[in-house]
Amino acid sequence: MASERNVSLLRGLRYKGEGPMLTFILHRIGGLGIVLFVTVHILASFLGGKGGQFINAIYEHWLFQIFVYFCALFHAINGLRITILDLWPALLEYQREAIWLEWAVFLPVYGIAVFIILRTALGG
Amino acid sequence: MQVTLKIFRFNPEKDRKFHYETYTLEAEPTERVLDLLERVKGYHDGTFTFRRSCAHGVCGSDAMRINGRNRLACKTLVQDVGERITIEPLLGLRVIKDLVVDMEPFFENYRKVLPYFINESPLPEDGRERLQSPEERARFDDTTKCILCAACTTSCPSFWASDDYLGPAALVAAHRFIFDSRDEAAAQRLQIVAETSGLARCHTVFNCTMACPREIQITKAIGELKMATITGKLD
Repeated sequence: MASERNVSLLRGLRYKGEGPMLTFILHRIGGLGIVLFVTVHILASFLGGKGGQFINAIYEHWLFQIFVYFCALFHAINGLRITILDLWPALLEYQREAIWLEWAVFLPVYGIAVFIILRTALGG
Repeated sequence: MQVTLKIFRFNPEKDRKFHYETYTLEAEPTERVLDLLERVKGYHDGTFTFRRSCAHGVCGSDAMRINGRNRLACKTLVQDVGERITIEPLLGLRVIKDLVVDMEPFFENYRKVLPYFINESPLPEDGRERLQSPEERARFDDTTKCILCAACTTSCPSFWASDDYLGPAALVAAHRFIFDSRDEAAAQRLQIVAETSGLARCHTVFNCTMACPREIQITKAIGELKMATITGKLD
């Protein structure tokens, strides 16, 4: 008798898909991060009082802000890349260049935002 | 050079779970990974099981994960993957024994897209060929190169999540006939690939394009199918 389907989350993550697969994984993490942020935001408003304030303190923390900003920005830029490639399939031949361009846009924008968040949080 | 092969092993008659076995062999850098597998079977363990047929990158039977990525063992040289080589079966299919997987879900999806020429019109007056211009032939040339090795489909995260997904290879086959000017079932096939188990599950990950041993621009072909289902145009 054969085994079950030969796949699991861990085995999938270990597949060496290089740059394109990394963007796919980060896109999923980004989406989950945004859902987490919206959920805790709604929960904080719904609970109110001390519970709400406790949750507020979590998502207003600079570490959480750095994480959420990464999720939102990466999800948006990567989503834009995929949308453009899907609408103009001829450009799919340049998918590697498109990924380099995506990082070239993402890194400085994210870097500036992280710098401002850190300066505000730690600079006093 | 000395090469260490770490090979996925699973014998359904003995094992409840898979395990890895390691073999150390002398090899030339220009030897193929398939040659090393043959040596393991011939000189180390005759029970070791894997598929191979033509051994020249045409039949597509020896697709497997080599150092974490889908490749054909017969087209992969030792010098391209290094001295430590990990060999595992394709992901997303059931393992029958060692590197042999059950390809039936793959072929079931392939059959769904009607991967054969359909033309009910009478033959031309001379009763011979249905003519096609070089430009019309070139339109689907890339997707005629598929050898059904399953390297693309089993590298796709959407297929890992569910084998209901048609998968890149079936979509490549659909592309080959949909864009063939002589074929008359394009509308029927576009309907099939537009179902929820079809194009919508492609997330443009590109693993398929990178895994294809025939270098077919699979994601591009799928992109063209996506546009064809939206616009209804095949140009």
